[in-house]
Amino acid sequence: MASAGSGDEKAAAAAMITLISSDNEKFEVTEATATLSQTIRHMIEDGCTDGGVPLPNVTSKILARVIEYCKKHATAAAGEEGSSSSFSDAAFLEVDRAFLEELEEFDDAFLEVDRATLFDLILAANYLDIKGLLNLTCQKVADSVKGKTPEQIREMYNIVNDLTPEEEAEIRRETQWAFE
Amino acid sequence: MAPTTRGMRARAAASGDRIPPDALFEALLCLPARDVCRLRCVCRSWRDLICDPVFAAAHADAHRGDPPLFLAKFLDDKTSVYVVDLSGAVVKRVAGAGGGPYQQLLPTRLDVACVAGDRNSCDVLNPATGALQSLPRNTAPDENAHLVSLVTSTFFTLGRVAATGEHKVLRMFSSIGLRSGSSRQVFEVITVSSTSGGEGHGAQQWRRLQGPGLFIEECSGTVVDGVVYFMTSSLYDGLGCGIRPDYIVSFDLGREEWGRDIRGPISSGAGGFMPRFNRNRLALAELSGYLVLAEQDRRPFTLDLWYLVDSAGRGMTGVWVKQYRIRTRWLVVRLPDDEDHLKPLLVLDDGKLVVYADGRMFICDPKTNSFKPVHMKRLDSVAVYTGNLLSLE
Repeated sequence: MASAGSGDEKAAAAAMITLISSDNEKFEVTEATATLSQTIRHMIEDGCTDGGVPLPNVTSKILARVIEYCKKHATAAAGEEGSSSSFSDAAFLEVDRAFLEELEEFDDAFLEVDRATLFDLILAANYLDIKGLLNLTCQKVADSVKGKTPEQIREMYNIVNDLTPEEEAEIRRETQWAFE
Repeated sequence: MAPTTRGMRARAAASGDRIPPDALFEALLCLPARDVCRLRCVCRSWRDLICDPVFAAAHADAHRGDPPLFLAKFLDDKTSVYVVDLSGAVVKRVAGAGGGPYQQLLPTRLDVACVAGDRNSCDVLNPATGALQSLPRNTAPDENAHLVSLVTSTFFTLGRVAATGEHKVLRMFSSIGLRSGSSRQVFEVITVSSTSGGEGHGAQQWRRLQGPGLFIEECSGTVVDGVVYFMTSSLYDGLGCGIRPDYIVSFDLGREEWGRDIRGPISSGAGGFMPRFNRNRLALAELSGYLVLAEQDRRPFTLDLWYLVDSAGRGMTGVWVKQYRIRTRWLVVRLPDDEDHLKPLLVLDDGKLVVYADGRMFICDPKTNSFKPVHMKRLDSVAVYTGNLLSLE
């Protein structure tokens, strides 16, 4: 299987895609990396990636991070396919587990960003339709508000309460069950 | 450099700490409905987002694979309806929606609940909005209305007509007497105008129906895809009149007429040999969209679940398949003798079954015949909830 694997890699290496950020920076990535994005996958399928893929909603700073994520996870996806089809021995499963742990560590480190970057990553993951990255980043925000009172959330996210006292009282009454 | 003016601070906040609406939308999809509801009072834009039907639909979609929710009335609080999950946690309580000690939740699998009693009370509840609609107690205008005065008890069945999305309730006035000729069953149907309760019930009226020609077992009404199925009455037990215990009568809620009768799997599969069995061993259920006949036995301790896989087949038989044979000894010997009926409620994604018995739910693994109790207060009655708690419509 080793020779077939390297053949695939060569084929993948040949198919490079150019992504162009909103500030006009160009990024060369393999097709395997780029197609973690369903949006780009569809563009490739439609044959409209010649001359680069402009991504007017994503800055170079964010795109660089998104590509970093996709590279790591594209390798992981390739590894999973290989393991399920050709290996089943315990030693390999051990390697597999080590790799998954490494991937988890990567994800944890990847999320160590400031809040603005996190929000931009969510928007980029949403626009590019990268499910894993969207789940990862959204879960981080969701965890940050889970179990918090509305007051704590307002403070954390710098939100001005623009509800009138009457409106707030009404919402509190309607959602009383959720506070019980 | 720290922002100095108010305007600069506002811009810094806008590009930095503030969650862009699209990012907030995606992030809130990750939270359970209960947590999301609490966030409605953070500010106006959060409230508008959470109350938007588009968000409610996306949230339901994102949580489609979540563990199922149930509607429950508990013995220690018969005035409330609770939304609970299989961990035993209460997700929501709808106070005042449970009627009282004489009303029970009908065993539905819908986005609404029906709380009904045998003294002609029937309320339809939308657990998401809390809207509660009491169906009219008067009877259909009919020259035979006097028949109803003879009766002693009412029985209700709530179902949804797929073609129109309407909910309808079938009402039966039943008086089963020992003397021949003294028994009566009168049927009426009503369309539940709107489960959000906007219209009131001025527009609603019960419509009198013809009977099915047979007496039916009062509490057996089970709805599958807009058709109500009933067992025939235990009056026929031992009469030798040819009405077999597993003979099933059906009523189409959409067309509002009685459908074809169906012969059950036990008598139709038995050939010349009629096993000795009676109705109290049999019950109907709806599982995964199929009509299921549950046959419970004590010698040996088994629960057989027969699925009607092709009701449109030729003749009256239909095609029945015994999908499960569960060994029930472990559970049944722990139940009181008169409360030993197991009622299958739901098949989970992993193939396990949720079974109700004696005020408790159990998760049954049919592969190992094991029963794991769901830890919660003792139940009065229970139903499966398929709705969306964020939906305000």
